[in-house]
Order: sequence, then structure tokens, then C-alpha cells
Amino acid sequence: MARRRRLWPWFRVGLLVLALLAAGYTLYLDFRVRHEFEGRRFALPARIYARPLELHVGLKVPEDDVLRELRELGYRPVAREDRSGWYVRNGAELEIAVRPFVFWDGPQPAKRLRVSFADGAVNALTDAKGADLALARLEPLMIGGIYPTNNEDRILVRLSEVPKVLVNELIAVEDRHFYTNWGFDPRGIARALLSLPTGHIQGGSTLTQQLVKNFFLSPERTIRRKAIELVMAVLLELHYTKQEILETYLNEIYLGQDRDRAIHGVGLAAQFYFDKPVHRLTAAESALLVALVRGPAYYDPYRHPQRALERRNLVLRETRDEGFISAAEYQAARATGLGLNPRPSTGTTPYPAFVDLVHRQLRRDYDETDLRSEGLRIFSTLDPRAQAAAEHALADRLAAFDRQGRFGKPGLEGAVVVADPQTGEVQALVGGRDPHYQGFNRALDAERQIGSLFKPAIYLTALEDPSRYTLATLLDDSEFVWQPPNSEPWRPENYDRQYHGQVPLYVALAHSYNVAAARLGTTLGLDKVLDTARRLGIERALPQYPSTLLGAANLTPLEVAQMYQTIASGGFRSPLHAIRDVTTADGRPLKRYPLAVAQAFSPDPMYLLTAGLQEVVREGTARSLANWLPPALGVAGKTGTTNEQRDAWFAGFTGAHVAVVWVGYDDNRPARLLGATAALPVWGEMMAALEPEPVAFPQPESIEQAMIDPQSGLLADSSCPGAIELPFVKGSAPQARAPCAGNPVMDNVKGFFQRLLGQ
Amino acid sequence: MRLLVLIAALLAGCATAPSPQAPSPLPPVPVEGAAPAVPAAPGAPGPNPAVERLMASARADEAASRLGSAEATIERALRIAPRDARLWQQLARIRLRQGEYRQAESLAARANTWAGSDAALRAENWNLIAQARDALGDSAGAREAQRNAERYAR
Repeated sequence: MARRRRLWPWFRVGLLVLALLAAGYTLYLDFRVRHEFEGRRFALPARIYARPLELHVGLKVPEDDVLRELRELGYRPVAREDRSGWYVRNGAELEIAVRPFVFWDGPQPAKRLRVSFADGAVNALTDAKGADLALARLEPLMIGGIYPTNNEDRILVRLSEVPKVLVNELIAVEDRHFYTNWGFDPRGIARALLSLPTGHIQGGSTLTQQLVKNFFLSPERTIRRKAIELVMAVLLELHYTKQEILETYLNEIYLGQDRDRAIHGVGLAAQFYFDKPVHRLTAAESALLVALVRGPAYYDPYRHPQRALERRNLVLRETRDEGFISAAEYQAARATGLGLNPRPSTGTTPYPAFVDLVHRQLRRDYDETDLRSEGLRIFSTLDPRAQAAAEHALADRLAAFDRQGRFGKPGLEGAVVVADPQTGEVQALVGGRDPHYQGFNRALDAERQIGSLFKPAIYLTALEDPSRYTLATLLDDSEFVWQPPNSEPWRPENYDRQYHGQVPLYVALAHSYNVAAARLGTTLGLDKVLDTARRLGIERALPQYPSTLLGAANLTPLEVAQMYQTIASGGFRSPLHAIRDVTTADGRPLKRYPLAVAQAFSPDPMYLLTAGLQEVVREGTARSLANWLPPALGVAGKTGTTNEQRDAWFAGFTGAHVAVVWVGYDDNRPARLLGATAALPVWGEMMAALEPEPVAFPQPESIEQAMIDPQSGLLADSSCPGAIELPFVKGSAPQARAPCAGNPVMDNVKGFFQRLLGQ
Repeated sequence: MRLLVLIAALLAGCATAPSPQAPSPLPPVPVEGAAPAVPAAPGAPGPNPAVERLMASARADEAASRLGSAEATIERALRIAPRDARLWQQLARIRLRQGEYRQAESLAARANTWAGSDAALRAENWNLIAQARDALGDSAGAREAQRNAERYAR
């Protein structure tokens, strides 16, 4: 007794301490609940869009390509008078009900278009009443996002947008007493306690508890977790209304997996499974979403349709039993199929290489956390048509090499960059033979020797001085030894191991003679040539060795594309970029990436260089391009092959696209492939699919044409075999006449009339 | 008959006659009225209602000093008709007003490369270049550009 009396005060102190600790812990939990629930903003990934398709009369686009874009946008080929997002053919006309969309320059309402096509181009564009439209823009394709680290994706919805039936179904199945309980269900708790001895705590979660678990806690199931979950659920109920809790739950809940992308919330789930906004879900469709709450993988309707259907019907039955839907409504809903959106899943993006480029360029201006959480809308420069053409051409060619069976494992790899020469917008980017693989992005990260792709920098340096060099200047292609002080001599060789003697500059370029180019480069001065390379847009410092002249330096395909963009635009360098505009989640403009142009060269030498690069295609190392592209296009380009044929390159341009293709092995072993046999076919096949425009540089006023004899590099007339007309800066053309040419005045007159009369 | 053929050939030929055995490596830009050597591309200058519409819209924006919007609209037009010198010139003018003088100078030079035989357009391009160089403190360059402007204005 005495002993009990002595212990009692201590017991009371202990109880008091425990109560204080519990109160303190509850206060802490309360702080966390309020702080995190209120401070919590759902992380919304940045969404990246392709360029919108702009329709106008004269646009060169086959009807099939427009139809493909509409299908990819999820447009359906059935007219629905009360809606947008469909297209139908009426005779020769294509009618399109364009969805509303918030562009960077403001919202564009839903509208009807009528488009007709002729000869692979749009030849009429009107509104629904038949009035001519100058221009009409489709909404852009969403091509990916920059996701929170766990790749959570969601579209936020308000409770008022969610159909009543969906809420009722959820309550009927998950938490019948949601509106009356205090965040926990005593019966559920009892069940959980009974299951204690089994070691596996079961069920009994209210919606509030589920939310607490997803929000604050790890998924382990211990009694301590369960207790904390309970306390937090009660605290949540104390502070917030049922509506607030329900809305948060509907946005938080995990409802599926699209490859690496986690589908959260009913907003995104409605779009993902049914391609519609949440407010248009039917009772049966929303019942499927509710069915998924218990196990999105187990009930995955794509992989286990029967299981998903049974669970959906169970949801419908319980909803009927609770009296939320009538027996007739139940029967009708039950009788419908799953009605899933048939679109194949794309994961976070079908274009990982391009999205990678967008992401890298965004990182210069944005904080990574903001990119992954603020729901920014990124309007990119991707042209899905160019991307498809690039992917197909590379895959086709590499598959053909695989069939030859001489290239071993792992197989050949490749990369493609396509850009708009006038604006520097990157239109397509392929980072490897599997364009959907989110791994090593060769277009941006494969640093490879560029071989002869460097040569234009040498010839351009020469052509900038018309008093010394023209396209017809004879270069010396005889044995050449470069003896740097205190170092091994450098002795470049031609691909055919021959020397070609005196050759006109354009011939040396067209046939990619190494010795002539190396001698010319060292004569001009390595510094001067490297400065030209810098002005062409190669920002990294190139090694100060003469071997750099023959492309020993390592560059990425994107860097090469920058170099050729400057050439393709006639000397106006535009930094290659993948983003046009960025807006906030609600469409407020944040940042524009304006067109930037720097004149790096005067038009004259660029015009001459381009004529030289056209000769490469007309009769030089790239003449096999005629298998894909008609000579009238005047395509300009350059092949590149490196030592022991480790790298095969082709870089060049048409009037509307500049593109670079690389093919080789990742481990840099010799591929035994030439630029002309491995990279050029990819380039040709791709460009042929892109409605190629002719290269049509306007001839600068200071340029004139002259007929040249390819043997002597001197003035020719029509009696010279193989005479070619070449451009010269006025006054720089050779004065002397070639041995094959006759009397100047008479021949000129004769030649003129012969041309006129087509003789 | 001979004469007729000759005249026809002359008419067709003067704009675009490269010698038959060696076509010009760079097809000349189609001249209005003559049969073009290459089919007129959508990128070539011409009465494209979409481009005219966008230009008008950008001019209205410019007049109202909505330069950001004008700039975006001209870029949109340039994607449709990248060879239209007027668009490059309009963008140069917008950049000049935005204080982006180096951009203005390069864009006006770009406009010159597509200007063909349009002397008035060239004169205005040189005018813009002169103003840009002046703002950049390159007074010698500005004077030279001004001389070019006057040469074409005549």
C-alpha cells in the first residue's frame, strides 16, 4: 500500500509527460497537415508543343499529311455538329472542326474550315460559309513534357467540372460515409485491429485517409503509420471542408501508367483513357476510373480488359445499390463496352531526342524545379512531318545495312538534324536508330571527327579574297608535306591515293581532294581558317593542328548543322534553337525566343561557295543524290568520311531545309562506310519526302557568270569539252582564254546565237 | 518563221537562259512576268494572301507600338515566305525601334539579299542600316550606308 502510494505520483507525472508528448506530436502533425495541404500545389509538368500547322492557299502539303496530323491530334473522322475535334470529306473538300486553343498570342476559338487540295498543295481555304480565309492554324500537337522527378503527370480540375455521377461512384465504392464521418470509419478501424495478428493491416481507409497516405506518408503498413494516418485524417477534417478534401483527392489519385509517365487525377485520366475532358465522362466511363483506384496496374483496361470490365460493373452495381443511379441507368451503363481511346501510348514523349534539346535550351533561362512543377507551356519548333521523314529514312537505311549482315553487333548507329536555314529553327532531331529510346542523344552528344565536312571553311576563307582566289583558280594537288617545328611531318593523302596535279578550286572541292585542300589551308593560314569556322558558328575551340583542316576535330551533328545553317542562309548565322515561345499554364506570355540573325559573311563569297557545293552534288562525290532528288533543285552539300571510315557524314541544304546526317559505331570502330554510301542515302530519302524547294539564292549584283574550261581554269567557249558556267565576283574572272577556245569576239557571238537557237 | 522563233527564244531566254550544256549552278530567282526557271515556290515573293494579311496585322501593331506582337506576326509570315524581302525589312524596322541595333543591321542586310531589282526597297534597307550603325556609334559605316541609300533612291 505504502509502495503504491509512493509510485502513484510518479505514474501521474509519467502520464502527464506522455500526454504532453502526444499533444506536442499532434501539434506537429497539425502543423504539417496545414502547412503542406495549404502550401501544396500540385506539381504540373511543363508541356511541350510542336509547331502548329498553318494552312494557307499555296502551302505545299499533301492531303494525306494533313489527315495524319489531324489523327495525331486525336481528331475523329465523324461529323459532330455540337462539337469540335473532327474532320470529314465532302467531295473534294475536307471539312475540319478545329478545337479552341490558347496560343502564345492569345486564345483562338473553335472554328470550321473547308480545305481543298490540288497537286500536293492547298488550293482553297474557306470558313464554313464559304468565305475565303487567308490563314488558319490548327492547334499544335503536344509532344512531351518535362515531368516531376517521379514523372507524375496531371491536368488539374475543379470539383465543379467533375460529373456528379463520378463522385457518387467513388463514394459508393470507396467511402460510403464520406460526407458524415470524421475522416475515419470506426468499423474499418475495428477490422484493421482484428487483422493485426496476421501482420498485414487491412482496409478500412476513408477517402481522407487515402489522401493523407498519398500526400504525407510512405506506403508501408505498420500500426504506427496507421495511427499517424488516422490522426492526420482527423486533423485534415477539422481544418478543411469535405469539398476541399474531395477536390484534392480527385486531382491526387494515381490512375494509371503510360510507359514512364504516371497518370494522376481524373482530369488527365479522362483524357488518357477516353480522350475527352472530365466533364463529358459518362457513368460507365467514370465508373472505370473509379474501378482503377484500387489497382491501376491490376485493372489496366488495355492489358486486362475483362478484369477491368468486371470491376467497372461492380462499381456500377454498388452505385445502383446505394441509390445513386436508377436500375435503368445501371442496365444501360453496364451494357456499354469500355470505349477506350485507341491511341497508342507514348510515354512522356514520342520524341525524346528533340525534347532533350528543348529541355537543355530551357535550362538556360529557367530553374529546373519551375520547369518540373509550374505547368509552363512550351511552344517548340518541331515539325512532325520533318521528324517522321528523318526517323523513317534513318531507320530504313540502317535496317538495309543490318540485312547486309556485315556490320556486327551492336549495329550501326546514326543521328539526324534538320533545321530551317532562314530562321535557325530545329525542325527534327533523331538521336539514334531507335527514335523512341531515351538514351544517348547522338545528335547532341556524339562528338565525332567531321572529316571533309570541314572543307567549306577552307574554301570560304579563300573565296573571301577574290583578288587571289576564284572557283576557277588552279590549286596544286601534288604531294604535300607539312613540317611543323619539333614535330612529325604531316603528309595528307587523297582518298584514291592519287595526286591530281593542277585542278580548279571548284573541282578540288567537288571531288574532295585532301592534298589540295590541306595545301590551300596552310597557305591561307590555319588561324584564318579557324576564324572562318568560328564565324560559321562553331563555338568550341578547334585544335591548332593542320589536321584540323581535314576534319580531325570532333564535333556533334548539331554543331555541324549550325555551320551549314550559316552557309545555307547565304552567310547569316542564326543560332539553332528549338523554342519559339513560353507561356504560363493559363496562357500568359512569359518569354519569346525571337528570330536572331548575324551577318557573318558578305553575300559574294557565300554565293561562290554555294555554287561549289552545288558542283559537289552535280558531278562530285555526292552525285548519287540524283537517285533521290532531281538536279533542277540545285541541292548543295558535302560528303564526309573519316580515317578508316569510322564516320560517314552528309551535310547540305535545299531551299527550305538544312540537314546533317551522321552514321557510324558508338564504340568508334571502323565502319567501312563512306559518307556517300551510308549518310547520303538517308539524307536523300529524307529530303525527297519533304517537298523539297529549289536552292534559289538571288545572284548578288556584284556577281557575274563566265564560261570556264575545267582543264585549264581559263575562259572557255562552247567548243571546249565540259565547259562550265561559274559565278565570279565582277572583275575576278580569268582574262586569259583556254587553249580550247577560239577567237574571242566571233566565238562569243557564235555561241550566243547557238544558245538562242538551241543548237 | 526563223525570226519568230528567234524573238520567242529571246523573250523566253533573256531572263533565264543558261547555256544548254552547262546549266547555271545557281538558278536565277524568277523575275516577274518571265517564265521562271523553277516553279514559283511558296517561299518566293508573290501575292500570298496569308503573307499580306500578316504584314498588315504587323503594321497595325507597329503603329500602335505593340512591337512584341508585331515581331511575332512577322516571324509567322517569314515561316511562310522566307524569301520575301519586305518581311525582313519590316522585322529590321521593328528591331531598330526595340533598340536591337545589331539585329536591325543584319536583318536589313538580309532584306537586301532578297531585294532583287527593287531599288526603293534597297534604299530603305540602307537607310535602316545607316540608322542602326549610327546608333551603334559607327558613324563612318553609317555615312557609307547613307550613300548607298541615296544611290538607290535616285
